[in-house]
Amino acid sequence: MNNGWLLLRTLLLSTSWRNILRFSGDKKKRRRIIGNAVGFAVVYAMLVALCVAMCVGYGKFGIIGAAPVMCALMISAMAFFLTLFKTNGYLFHFREYDMLMSLPFSSATVAGCKFLYMYVKSLPWHMSISLAMMIGYGWFAHPPVAVYPLWIALSLFLPGIPMLAAAFLGFLIARISAGFKRTNIVQTVLTFIFVIFCFSLRFIIEDIFRNDKVQSTLLLASQLTGGAAKVYLPAGWFADAITKTSVSDALLLVGVTMLLFTAVFAIVGRSYRNINSALKSHAAAKNYRMTAQRKRSVIHAIAHKEFRRLMGSTAYMVNGAMGEVLAALLGLGTLIIGFDRIVKTVTNGAPFQSSILQPAIPFIVYFFIGMMSTTACSPSLEGKNYWILQSLPIEKKAVYQGKMLFNMWLTVPFMAFSTLCLCVSARVPALNTALYLLLGVALCAFSTAWGCVCGVRHMRLDWENEIEVIKQGAAVAIYLLPNMFVVMGLVVLMVVLGMRMDHRLLTLIMTLIAGTLAALSYARVMALAKK
Amino acid sequence: MLEIRNYSKSYGGGKKAVDDVSLSVMGGDIFGFIGHNGAGKSTTIRAVVGVLDFTEGEITIDGHSVKHEPIACKRVTAYIPDNPDLYENLTGIQYLNFIADVFGIGAAEREARIKKYADLFEITDALGDLIGSYSHGMKQKAAIISALIHEPKLLVLDEPFVGLDPKATFTLKEIMREMCQKGTAIFFSTHVLDVAEKLCNKVAIIKHGRIIASGTMEELTEGHSLEEAFLEADGNE
Repeated sequence: MNNGWLLLRTLLLSTSWRNILRFSGDKKKRRRIIGNAVGFAVVYAMLVALCVAMCVGYGKFGIIGAAPVMCALMISAMAFFLTLFKTNGYLFHFREYDMLMSLPFSSATVAGCKFLYMYVKSLPWHMSISLAMMIGYGWFAHPPVAVYPLWIALSLFLPGIPMLAAAFLGFLIARISAGFKRTNIVQTVLTFIFVIFCFSLRFIIEDIFRNDKVQSTLLLASQLTGGAAKVYLPAGWFADAITKTSVSDALLLVGVTMLLFTAVFAIVGRSYRNINSALKSHAAAKNYRMTAQRKRSVIHAIAHKEFRRLMGSTAYMVNGAMGEVLAALLGLGTLIIGFDRIVKTVTNGAPFQSSILQPAIPFIVYFFIGMMSTTACSPSLEGKNYWILQSLPIEKKAVYQGKMLFNMWLTVPFMAFSTLCLCVSARVPALNTALYLLLGVALCAFSTAWGCVCGVRHMRLDWENEIEVIKQGAAVAIYLLPNMFVVMGLVVLMVVLGMRMDHRLLTLIMTLIAGTLAALSYARVMALAKK
Repeated sequence: MLEIRNYSKSYGGGKKAVDDVSLSVMGGDIFGFIGHNGAGKSTTIRAVVGVLDFTEGEITIDGHSVKHEPIACKRVTAYIPDNPDLYENLTGIQYLNFIADVFGIGAAEREARIKKYADLFEITDALGDLIGSYSHGMKQKAAIISALIHEPKLLVLDEPFVGLDPKATFTLKEIMREMCQKGTAIFFSTHVLDVAEKLCNKVAIIKHGRIIASGTMEELTEGHSLEEAFLEADGNE
């Protein structure tokens, strides 16, 4: 067997649930795996439902022809961003690096296999979108039978190009960072810059294809996807292969993906060892002089340890603090550009007063701040070091309290800054601003405590790579996806209720609800700590 | 078999972790690499096995450059790290088969070798369990078996006796002697000077990244114990 395939097969086997179910006698572990599988099935089902609903909407309004492009764009965007967040942990700085590199594999083979492993692991997400949209498209467009196998086959290649682009970006970031003494910090800052740039690029592209004269939002959506397909060619190739049964477009998508894969890993392979050496090595200054030390309470000491853990890992920092950075940028942006102008841009100049969005400000900020709670992954991140906390004379309760305290340290200042900026820019009265801040704190407390419930209930310590629990862990998925969907709904609800109710009363009611949910989640964490 | 010439390694900040190290290990040698914690032993070993990148100096294995022909070097080398990070969700036998596949070992040969070494280290019964359920010592034994499975020409070990029970330590020493008689070169780091003294025919002492003493055991000890020779060399620096 080819060494590359052998390595890929082993990488997949080494993290497969099937292997654990087959060979582990640990009933708790087996139960956890079954629980995780059920959790993921629910999340996949939600994604499928969302895609089917989107296709039904397209079908009802007679624009089902846009479904293939939309499918390609959704998969590509998801593949690109998820890969950009994961590249650092999967391609570089992974735990078994020494073992793999001491075996007769070329650097390009190891890097290529790590990429393919990442691709296979994210395939269920991409295929959930693709299959759901294929069913919706088939239902309304009645395409020839040959389109279905073609759709499925090409869907396997769709994530390839964006994933390769993101992996290459990750490689460039790692390559540049490897030249600095504080590799971790440089890598994190560069990743933030790239991600924010990519987010902005998305809006710029959308803006190019927006036509102010267009009245119908659905027609606009159809034009947008068509326009995007012209900019992002693989989406166009996929759509043409499906709608026109064009073999040349199908071959183009497959061929370019394969070519890019070969080219990217030929380049990555050349500097792979050099980058990993820089990332895994730590300069030993050996010039420490004993200075005054600080005594901290147990909970503060754990919170401080969590801070150090976050700062020590690029993957954790990028994923854990991305929401906070985006919230701060949103705040700064509104302060500089103006609340009204931003609302007009985002809503494409829809004819309504931006003041109706005011009661939704805390939830708009929370959409970013609550995107990720460090408490959802920090229990699992203890990994092999869990024995340290277990062997110390401290209760689990204190450990979880420390982890929650750190998340509050991280989220509350960013929430306060962003809320204040938005309120100042939107000319919100002082009392309302104070109430929004109060609601913001309650939401942060809820996010922290609920994240901790997910983190403790789905704690996984036997990971090979920290990305498995930061980005792909059951705890994070179960925390993140429902939280995001509910918050989007709450933004709309606040706007609707805000038109009928007093804003202060509405905010107070929401604060009460969020506070109660936070208290209930906290009580659940304390109950879990006693188990 | 192993030639290290003027190897240096600096990390960020320009400070050298290893400075101008040169040594050679011939087939049939058991070469002990000793020094304090943080002296540069692991940094040297990781460069030898192709894990750590380096810019200064040259390392060759069996005539091949580690820098320019890493695969050719790794085909004849086996490495046992001080803290084996093996795939925890593979069973012991799955992991050993993976390594045997990488080195293209035939079914009959691998079966015989796995059986031989697993019996010697008394972990045959545990081969069907997930590595995650192994103790540190058992993981170390699995790593040792995986290193021996392809009969390497150069065996590199980083603190191999840490975590092994007395019987396994004895077994490993016996295997090292047997391999050495067959012409295998062995290069290993250790803190246990007694073991080094009884096992090695050549020794190098490294301090603050520089070799401060090197030679055959007789040349280095001159009738004293290795411990005395080590302390004297250490004190003179």
